[in-house]
Amino acid sequence: MPRGRLSAIGVTSALVIALAGCSSSSGSPAGTGPAAGKTLVVGVTSDPDTFFPWKATQFTAVNVLQNLYGTLTEFDKDLNVVPGLAESWKTSDDGRKLTLKLRQGVTFGDGSAFDSEDVKWSLDQIMAPATAAVARASLSSVKSVTAPDPSTVVLELTGPDAALPANLATVNLAMLSTGATEAELSTRPNGTGPFTLRSRTASQSITLARNDRWWGADKPKVSAIEFRVIPDESSIVAAMQSGNVQLTVLNDPLVARTAQAAGVGLTRTPQLNYHVLQLNARRGELADVNVRLAIQCAIDRKQVLDTAALGEGEVVGPITSPAFKSDPARRPCPARDLAKAAEYLGKAGKSGGVTLKTIVSQGEYATSVNEAQNLKAQLAEAKINLELEVLESGAYVDRWNAADFDAAVALNGGRPDPDGSYGRYFTSGGNFNRVAGYSSPELDKLFADGKATTDQAARKAIYDQVSAHLEDNAVWIWLFSGYTYTATTAGVRGFVPMANGSLQYLRTTSAG
Amino acid sequence: MRGFVRNRVVRRVASTVGTLFGVAVLVFVMLRAIPGDQITAGLGTEAAGLTPAQLQALERYYGLDQPLVTQFFTWLGNLFTGNLGYSARNQQSVLELTLHSLPVTVELAVLSIVLALLIGVPLGTLAASRAGSPRDAAGQIVSLAGLSIPSFLLATTLLSVLSASFGFNPNGRAFATPAEDPLLNLQQMILPALVLGFGIAAPILRTTRAAVLEVRSEDFVRTARAKGVPERRLQVRHVLGNALVPIVTMTGLQFGYLLGGAVVVEQIFSVPGIGRQVLLGIQQKEYAVVQSTVLVIALAFVLVNLLTDALYRIVDPRVRAS
Amino acid sequence: MTALARRSPAGVAGVVVLVLLAVVAVLSYLGLLPYDPVAQHPASRFLGPSGAHLFGTDQFGRDVFSRVAAGVGNSALIAVVAVAFATVVGTLGGLVAGFYRGFADGAIGGVTNVLFAFPPLLLALSLASVLARDWFTVAVAIAIVYVPIFIRVTRGPVLSLREIEYVKAAVATGQSRFQIMVRHVLPNIASIVVIQVALSLSWAVLTEASLSFLGLGTPPPAPSLGSMIFEARSLVFVAPWTLIAPGAVVVLLVVGLNLLGDGLRDTLDPRNRGRH
Repeated sequence: MPRGRLSAIGVTSALVIALAGCSSSSGSPAGTGPAAGKTLVVGVTSDPDTFFPWKATQFTAVNVLQNLYGTLTEFDKDLNVVPGLAESWKTSDDGRKLTLKLRQGVTFGDGSAFDSEDVKWSLDQIMAPATAAVARASLSSVKSVTAPDPSTVVLELTGPDAALPANLATVNLAMLSTGATEAELSTRPNGTGPFTLRSRTASQSITLARNDRWWGADKPKVSAIEFRVIPDESSIVAAMQSGNVQLTVLNDPLVARTAQAAGVGLTRTPQLNYHVLQLNARRGELADVNVRLAIQCAIDRKQVLDTAALGEGEVVGPITSPAFKSDPARRPCPARDLAKAAEYLGKAGKSGGVTLKTIVSQGEYATSVNEAQNLKAQLAEAKINLELEVLESGAYVDRWNAADFDAAVALNGGRPDPDGSYGRYFTSGGNFNRVAGYSSPELDKLFADGKATTDQAARKAIYDQVSAHLEDNAVWIWLFSGYTYTATTAGVRGFVPMANGSLQYLRTTSAG
Repeated sequence: MRGFVRNRVVRRVASTVGTLFGVAVLVFVMLRAIPGDQITAGLGTEAAGLTPAQLQALERYYGLDQPLVTQFFTWLGNLFTGNLGYSARNQQSVLELTLHSLPVTVELAVLSIVLALLIGVPLGTLAASRAGSPRDAAGQIVSLAGLSIPSFLLATTLLSVLSASFGFNPNGRAFATPAEDPLLNLQQMILPALVLGFGIAAPILRTTRAAVLEVRSEDFVRTARAKGVPERRLQVRHVLGNALVPIVTMTGLQFGYLLGGAVVVEQIFSVPGIGRQVLLGIQQKEYAVVQSTVLVIALAFVLVNLLTDALYRIVDPRVRAS
Repeated sequence: MTALARRSPAGVAGVVVLVLLAVVAVLSYLGLLPYDPVAQHPASRFLGPSGAHLFGTDQFGRDVFSRVAAGVGNSALIAVVAVAFATVVGTLGGLVAGFYRGFADGAIGGVTNVLFAFPPLLLALSLASVLARDWFTVAVAIAIVYVPIFIRVTRGPVLSLREIEYVKAAVATGQSRFQIMVRHVLPNIASIVVIQVALSLSWAVLTEASLSFLGLGTPPPAPSLGSMIFEARSLVFVAPWTLIAPGAVVVLLVVGLNLLGDGLRDTLDPRNRGRH
């Protein structure tokens, strides 16, 4: 009798971790094994879905590739733009030319030398539509690339682009050796990064070996890093308790709380990613700014944070990057104000209430459904009915990409430079503008000014205006920003978690 | 007689091929009905930023620009040449992937069945030996627990308790095949096999109990007892021997399901089996991986059923005699 | 019922458990619960069990007892609808296949074989993600997985009944095949179907829990036992009661249904008569 055909399915994690918890407060067993051989074992929930840096968007893929490939610029731990493969760069006075001086003596993993031809080839390829590179839009201001000598690259720009140096720091714009193909790199990655690929077992593990010819002053401390795939996050926590895994990054605040209670040491790092209720201001009732403002005023963001994420995070405005941060108190209704919400609805002629089709993903990130439930409960009190459609992540992505929603509960990636974060969403020509559902001549002008301005203080002032415009028009409802949780076992030193979630400091990490 | 046998075999083969073709059609259609494709599965919401030209290039790259009928028959045609497709994510052919994952799942299934039989058959026999007695009740409670406790619950509990309290977590180490490290492999298999085995032990226990009760009431057992055959010998040789048929059938059925249904336990214990291969394939929308792997699972399921039938003929004295 | 009481004390225990749970579920349908199961009161989050909140409150300040009660109702509704669907379609399929043989048998047998050989995870996942998400879809997805089981279970007995003398006699008297099927064959497989229904209900409850747990079950905020476990699984250390309550009730419900199924089998199965 085929009992349990389905009951055997599904269903990870557990009721009775409770039981486990009660007995787990005792000592933590000492980690033995790989640590002694100076191999650092990092627990991840999936293995990379691609080894081609220009197309990598998945967390593990980006982080593995970042350790294999080099970029022209990099971020330091505070997200300042610092030299990478380019030792220095200079913008011409009219802002239409960016000249990069390349680092000398850099080689690829296969031993061949890195020079300006590789840069020109890489950038040209990324800009070619046939390559389908995800960061192509970051180079939209680049007209042409020339390589006057082996250590110099010149980018001709259509206009000033102050965000370009920061945008070059993503692994999606990694430098490849001339002529490299996706097929080749998929089996034999060939980059200029601090590590090289040693071995891979599909769906189980990826092992990187230290690249002794890497250009950095301090060579990586560990001789190898193994990314071990353990699909279930609570199983990773178990593997850390038994000392089999030495470092992992958790995203789910609830799992992190559980891990902490189980005695695993954690470091919180605020993230640039922001939780948001995206509105589609081009559809139906949301086209009226008053309806959007009513929503803006009807939400207590702290309550969303407290209920959905156990208060793990902080309420934020649009821009989360430390250098350009928006002040969340400067928005039309910094505190929940139902009277004002009713007033706005009245102005819109919708005192009877409105209904919004809202998409929510299940499985994309941990807190989405909880956020949706709380938003629904809060907005119901203001006669705004969120009709929740909880979708499997594939279906959610389809709907989101087609902008087929009134509202969307989303976790969007923030970037260190505000132009990188929002230029693509809120300029009328931006490649995500259709999904953003809003643009205005004022915003177009502000973003153009931001790109044309190099002075840091002046840029900050411009993006403050962007931020104010977005909030005053209640374009989206920005909610909060969470943490990542870095867990390490005793003896692991030197790892620096970053606000953009990057694991680039694995190169400074030592294992016991 | 020989014509009859040949006829039977031909019909059996035809029905097997028909079943597999049905599975092929069903999996093909279902996969495409699930929203999303390999492009959006890989790039997620970043795919919204692609230009039409970029999108076209990607569709060509993944072969998604072909008409569905062409996709189906190309896949089916390739199967006959031994080409099960290619997984771009793993940089391996589906055949290679399956050659690694299928033995892992088969090993897990065999171990689970062995454990289930070790629990189910003795307890079932014991329960039947005095129906209605405390030992019967004990057997019933064990089987009720096996039926009612979801496997994910048991799995995470075992894993958390053992690793937190005893630092015992072989599954936190890199997976070892029996050839690489038989001892570690056994350690990594034992917990998942125990969890699965406990669940399967319940139906086996019940079947054993029912079958033993049934056989004991039959005439030949009474005759044997009247003839003075010793009780122990009677129990084992006559009763259990004749109760084997339904037990074998039930075991075969459960084994078949284990081949495709151990996903959760594989997931929790990080066992790289064939269930996870399907699950990852679905998540990444790697159509070729899912289609071919599901077909392999279906084939294995059908083969196990055939084998069970054959075994049934061997153990059933009535069939043997005729 | 008296037969059940006489033959199977375990079955009676099952009935008692189920009646208790049914009372709670009915209360929730009538709106007689102490709190609205979906109303949020953030000020009273994570309160432990007390007189005011028997099973405490969850991270939204919702009353866990009321949610569990409503969850039992929803889970039971889905299980009943799913099993009813599977019973009707499966039994009819088994009847037709076993009684008419020939092409119908071949076609139904073929579909059954395919559904059996198809990994159920994929089947449930696809169905749940293709169709619109509501409780009815979930019920249909579960039903489709269980239809072939009912076909298998009924076809065999129908096949043998067909050869039995009085059915043959009925054919000889010129009754239509349909009449024979309904009057003579169906009543004789009724006990088998009833037993199967009781067992399937317990699987269906577990399946609904599993699907909700995978995020493919009843969409929130409507409570179902599976989705409550899913939501609470990471809160063990913060508020264990949010997990223990729905978990214990799922197990209780399944145990109750299994006990009832066993009891019915002991009572109704002709092969068990005259034993004990």
